[in-house]
Amino acid sequence: MTFRQFAVNNVIRNKRLYVAYFLSSLFTVMIFFTFAIFAFHPTFMDGSVRGEVLYGMAIAGGIIYVFSFFFVLYSMSSFLQSRKREFGLLMMHGMTTRQIRLMIFMENMLIGFFATLGGILLGLVFAKAILLLAENVLVIDETLHFYFPLLAIILTFVSFIVLFLLISLFVSFILRTRRLVDLIKADKQSKGEPKASVVLTVIAVILLASGYMTALYVKGMQVVMAMLPVIIVVTIGTYLLFTQLSVYVIRRLKGSKGIFWRKTNMVLFSDLSFRMKDNARSFFMVAIISTVAFSAIGSLYGAQSYLTRGMTEANPFSFLYTSSPENDEDAIREDVQVIEETMDKYDIDADSSIIDMTYFSRDDGEVLITNESQYNLFAHLLGEKTVQIEDNEAVVVSDSSRVLEPDSETDRLMDDPVELTDGTAIQPDRMMESSVLPEMYSYYIISDAMYEQLPQPDTVETSVAWMADKGQEDALIQAGEAIFDQIDSYNLVAIDFSLYQINKVYGPILFIGLFIGIVFFVSAGSFLYFRLYTDLDDDKEKFRTIAKMGLTDKELKKVINRQTALLFFAPIVVALIHGAVALTALSHLFDFSLVNESALVLGAFAFIQIIYFVVVRYFYTKQIRRAIF
Amino acid sequence: MLQVQNVSKVYEGKIAYRALSNIDLEIEKGEFVGVMGPSGSGKTTLLNMVATIDEPTTGDVLIEGKNPHALSRNELARFRRRELGFVFQEFNLLHTLTVEENMVLPLTLDGKRVKEMKQQANAIAEKLGIADIMTKRTHEISGGQAQRAAIARAMIHQPKLLLADEPTGNLDSKASKDVMGMLSSLNKQEKATMMLVTHDPQAASYADRVVFIRDGKFYSEIHHGKSRQTFFQSIIDTLSLMGGDDSDFSPVRG
Repeated sequence: MTFRQFAVNNVIRNKRLYVAYFLSSLFTVMIFFTFAIFAFHPTFMDGSVRGEVLYGMAIAGGIIYVFSFFFVLYSMSSFLQSRKREFGLLMMHGMTTRQIRLMIFMENMLIGFFATLGGILLGLVFAKAILLLAENVLVIDETLHFYFPLLAIILTFVSFIVLFLLISLFVSFILRTRRLVDLIKADKQSKGEPKASVVLTVIAVILLASGYMTALYVKGMQVVMAMLPVIIVVTIGTYLLFTQLSVYVIRRLKGSKGIFWRKTNMVLFSDLSFRMKDNARSFFMVAIISTVAFSAIGSLYGAQSYLTRGMTEANPFSFLYTSSPENDEDAIREDVQVIEETMDKYDIDADSSIIDMTYFSRDDGEVLITNESQYNLFAHLLGEKTVQIEDNEAVVVSDSSRVLEPDSETDRLMDDPVELTDGTAIQPDRMMESSVLPEMYSYYIISDAMYEQLPQPDTVETSVAWMADKGQEDALIQAGEAIFDQIDSYNLVAIDFSLYQINKVYGPILFIGLFIGIVFFVSAGSFLYFRLYTDLDDDKEKFRTIAKMGLTDKELKKVINRQTALLFFAPIVVALIHGAVALTALSHLFDFSLVNESALVLGAFAFIQIIYFVVVRYFYTKQIRRAIF
Repeated sequence: MLQVQNVSKVYEGKIAYRALSNIDLEIEKGEFVGVMGPSGSGKTTLLNMVATIDEPTTGDVLIEGKNPHALSRNELARFRRRELGFVFQEFNLLHTLTVEENMVLPLTLDGKRVKEMKQQANAIAEKLGIADIMTKRTHEISGGQAQRAAIARAMIHQPKLLLADEPTGNLDSKASKDVMGMLSSLNKQEKATMMLVTHDPQAASYADRVVFIRDGKFYSEIHHGKSRQTFFQSIIDTLSLMGGDDSDFSPVRG
């Protein structure tokens, strides 16, 4: 047995110890590689995607890489911490510090090499699925075919071998070997029960409360200004929450014998308070990382729906043609003909209506006055409610949500009567909201008879609207593109094509955000997994002792269940609350409700976390039970 | 060979605790010395100090006239793997390695040639009667076999000093006898110097001389006479003279 064989055997024959570290390394590589497959896809490389997107992807790749570095470093050092005793024994037999470093270096390179290889292979297997996903999120004309990602393989391989090399060098110097007796007895020494200070506990509550209140209170542009201070305050608050408040609460619980001495509580709490020192830091990191993931994904998703929903609401028609003042009737007829022909060509079934939008000069600009039958024409086309207006009535349609007017001025038309040529004036008597007519600002609707008595309008725009039957989106997108080739884009709104274009630009951004979010979230999960498995041997010992005194299967499950649940959900619940507050603040910034988007994103993460919990708990319980029975 | 001169050990803490005070001990080359004493008397602390696992607060430990505590870390490591051998109560075999691999570990660390390692391993395994379990992993063998493997590991590089901390503590009486007999014959045949810390009067009776410590201080010492049986009896007598709690000593094994 040479030294090299010894180091290799030590890894290969002790799989369980290494498997957690190996798997999280493998996962990190896989994520990076999948991202690389996507980033180096020929479809992007031949220049059809804009430079900014490629730049964004390069940045995102860099972030993932840097994050991977710290993640692997953390995994590695916590892995080494748990092996102190082994190192102590080896040193006792005369292993020099250099040899220990060499051993760790070789182990790490061995694991790193196979993790990189494994991550790439696994990444290849899933590449097709991920490309399919990307295709759907991204809205790319050409389908993303599966290709052999040579460039991605080379990049990933080199990057991660370098990463593991750096970490191996780095970690082997971290491992300070103090007195041998400390190393050998490392697993028998108590780390001591952490103490909580009442002052810091109160500060934690105050910081969190003030951070939350500020975040929820501010509106509009104040959100941007408040963002940084709130993030700092809440981050410090979260740290204190886990290091102080939680310890304080547990101590209080332990202080009350009524609770502490009740059934299995003692086993649970005593452990909790002793592990809190280690746990607190992991919890803090997991909570912050998850918050970043939730907020990033939530805000990107929210911003997308803000853009698209706003557009869909403002443009309910499939096609809307509006003439410009300089177009004469022939020009309009020609344009309309082009649109109709194109629609025929793509076999689109659609109803259409045509109205004249008449604008009248006022002191502060032009205002649209329309009549009942014109409004109803479009309302009918959309399937919206029609209006009925008496001769002495005028209805004011309020500004659309896109108009950023102060609240006090939305009803400004209510005070302005509509003046007719015979000198009479109709005072508006009710307001309604509607997006039937393609007009952003407030306008009047009056009865047909009164409309006749209006003076000559200052501007007339002819509006033609087409409403296609459902289920022809693809045809509408193609038709939209074809029509834009022939007529001025100023005159036409083709909502399906516009949305398609937005998604095309926005898709990659969303995808990158999603990817980074998932990377963060998965890493957070791995942190927890590590935390749990560092304590596995202690737990085995503990439960074995208790089991000798008599612990039923059910009680064992209950204790493990609570212990694991606390580990998995304490940081995530905090992160979910942080995320919810952050997204609420974001919706205040845009004054746009993000309730559905937030609920969807946060719910999805909570769901994944629950599944993760159930799986890990199952294996953990199995391990413990095997140790006992 | 080994000189412990006026060694004291104080554990710092909220209440400083003096584990050893002014201990002197000398071991001749080829001598087999047992150290006995009640729990907490400081005998393991003394052994750890000699083993360079722990450092004395005051006083010197000299092995062949050299103070290992004054060596640099790398020199110390080399010193351990060439000059010292350890046997523990918990065997402390590496479970990732086979019995044979565990045995040759000190040689491996020293970068010896594979052929040489193989030879030495076979020679010592033959002597200790574990040749047939060389390829087994540590969880597949019994406690007695594990301790013999540990002794083989401790002896394979022919150390100047073999240190044993309760080597029979985890063994039944039959295995204890085997292991102690083996240590004794290694002492005779290989002229290995040995220091044994134990609770077990039976195990201690294999030594040439037994030193008693109590509350961190030297108490007395007795020498091996003609027969092991009478030596055993005088050990028991000294222990009962020394007082302490009876339960500190394992029952007499026959």
